[in-house]
Amino acid sequence: MKILVCIKQVPDSSDTLQINEQKGLPSYTEDAAFRMNRFDEFALEEALLIKERLSETLVDALSVGPQRVSATVQRAMGMGADHGIHVLDEADGYRSPFTVASLIAGCVRARNYDLIMTGVMAEDTVASQTGQLIAALLELPCASSVIKEEVLPDRLQIAVEREVEGGSRETVKLNLPAVLTIQPGINFPRYPSFSKVMRARTYAQEVIRAEGLAIEEPRELCRRVRIPDAPSQGVFIEGSPREKALKLIRILHEKSLLA
Amino acid sequence: MEDPTLYIIAELRKGCITQETYELLSFARVIGREKKPVFLTLGKKVEEQAREISQRTGCDSLVVAGEHLEHYNALSYAHALMEILQKESSAWVCLPHTSMGYDLAPRLAVPLKAACITGVESVGDGSLERPIHSGRFIEEIVPKTPRVVVTVLPGAFRPCEETSGPAGAVRVIEAAFTELPSQTLGTDESSHRDSALKDAEVIVSAGRGIGKKENVSLIKRLAALFPRSAVGASRSACDLGWFEHKQQVGTTGQSVSPRLYIACGISGAFQHVSGMRGAQTIVAINKDIHAPIFQVAHYCIVEDLTTFIPLLIEATNRTLPSR
Repeated sequence: MKILVCIKQVPDSSDTLQINEQKGLPSYTEDAAFRMNRFDEFALEEALLIKERLSETLVDALSVGPQRVSATVQRAMGMGADHGIHVLDEADGYRSPFTVASLIAGCVRARNYDLIMTGVMAEDTVASQTGQLIAALLELPCASSVIKEEVLPDRLQIAVEREVEGGSRETVKLNLPAVLTIQPGINFPRYPSFSKVMRARTYAQEVIRAEGLAIEEPRELCRRVRIPDAPSQGVFIEGSPREKALKLIRILHEKSLLA
Repeated sequence: MEDPTLYIIAELRKGCITQETYELLSFARVIGREKKPVFLTLGKKVEEQAREISQRTGCDSLVVAGEHLEHYNALSYAHALMEILQKESSAWVCLPHTSMGYDLAPRLAVPLKAACITGVESVGDGSLERPIHSGRFIEEIVPKTPRVVVTVLPGAFRPCEETSGPAGAVRVIEAAFTELPSQTLGTDESSHRDSALKDAEVIVSAGRGIGKKENVSLIKRLAALFPRSAVGASRSACDLGWFEHKQQVGTTGQSVSPRLYIACGISGAFQHVSGMRGAQTIVAINKDIHAPIFQVAHYCIVEDLTTFIPLLIEATNRTLPSR
């Protein structure tokens, strides 16, 4: 099996994001720290579990973005990915899920992966599109929100359970090659040992320049990013911690919520 | 240019039309002004549901029928819908941002050469607005194509009222079966739910922000102050193994509407909020003043819950000497 896991680098905290009022676009402060999207950690872990189960399986990890993204690809190799691919994209400004997916599709089209996996969404932009878009662009079947998977013995099909609203599950059978987007809770992502992380620093990464890949015309643009208008309609209870506690108890009594 | 045709893909759960489907009509009214959308209902035998939609909304319904459409499947749905949608040079296709909607939207958008905009919360001037970074920022997205596929966050719009006018027309078309590389075999409805959550009058819920598993006991102690209470949790707190998945509140867990909901260390991503916004009184405790949970809470407390909850418990016991 040849597996590709698509990972996104996200800011460790949105505190480091500021809006450039002129451009209306966000930028990161200089001290911003970045890490792997948590949802993608579950996808990578699931790929590594398949590798442990099935002989002759290789796991590649791919990420799109500027120079700093290389550290996240390295992290994926520290967790156990066999090969790291960095699609180096230094373009300024908004990148839609469609643009990112078309970069990935363009990059992997000829590589004949049996399975492409990614997280169900990114923590920062929460679009839940990239995996499904890659599948549609490559004309592959896809299941999103996968909470359980089993590659069938012939390795031609995969059976999955999708988690749907209200805790129900849908069972889907897909022909391989296929794309899966992984729901958290499917596994417990491993935490690589320090020595593995250090060793991963010495591994070479394949760097592919985004300019060399054909991208379709963007179909949507971001006009601006702004702070929400009405941050709260609720009452902020003020005072010392003890005063706040007493005030809250009083409110709960008044509303007969506390006996 | 002529106004685009508006389509709403109806969503059925256990054979019933979801509330999110009716919320989409309110969204479509903002987009289309006077233009009435057409509802598309797919399934094996769903005429009755389509008629219900037409009666409630006054909009026309198109039933796309086929044995193979009994269960939702991205490929079979897309295949059946493509014939209808590709005829429209300019159209908006609206879906709920649910496991069906976000699964299907990209699959429709790519061959339609349509903009795909998901998780939309509101409509701006020529743009669609979506919360990012857990609601801390709003992204304004402008579609650049005559066809647009959009998913709308559950709860972002109010479900439409019942129309007093005449019911819309219902038309049925048969979808041809094609062999496709993916097949949905069925849905397991035997979900692992905690009935305690449904019955509780007070729910104390915890998120990732409680920091560590050891703090779960604090949440339990707080819940124990209230009669008929239960402990809930956010998705991420369950995934960390701090709580059982049956305790999860939110889109993939349970929707609850207790008299009181106390959210402790929950950031307030829409996946959680859509499962608890029906609570009568919402109290949020979070040390991050920017946490979007404060946008839905009635009473907001910016404190570290590991120090605040013990104070709260102490304060309760002091005002309740008999306990």
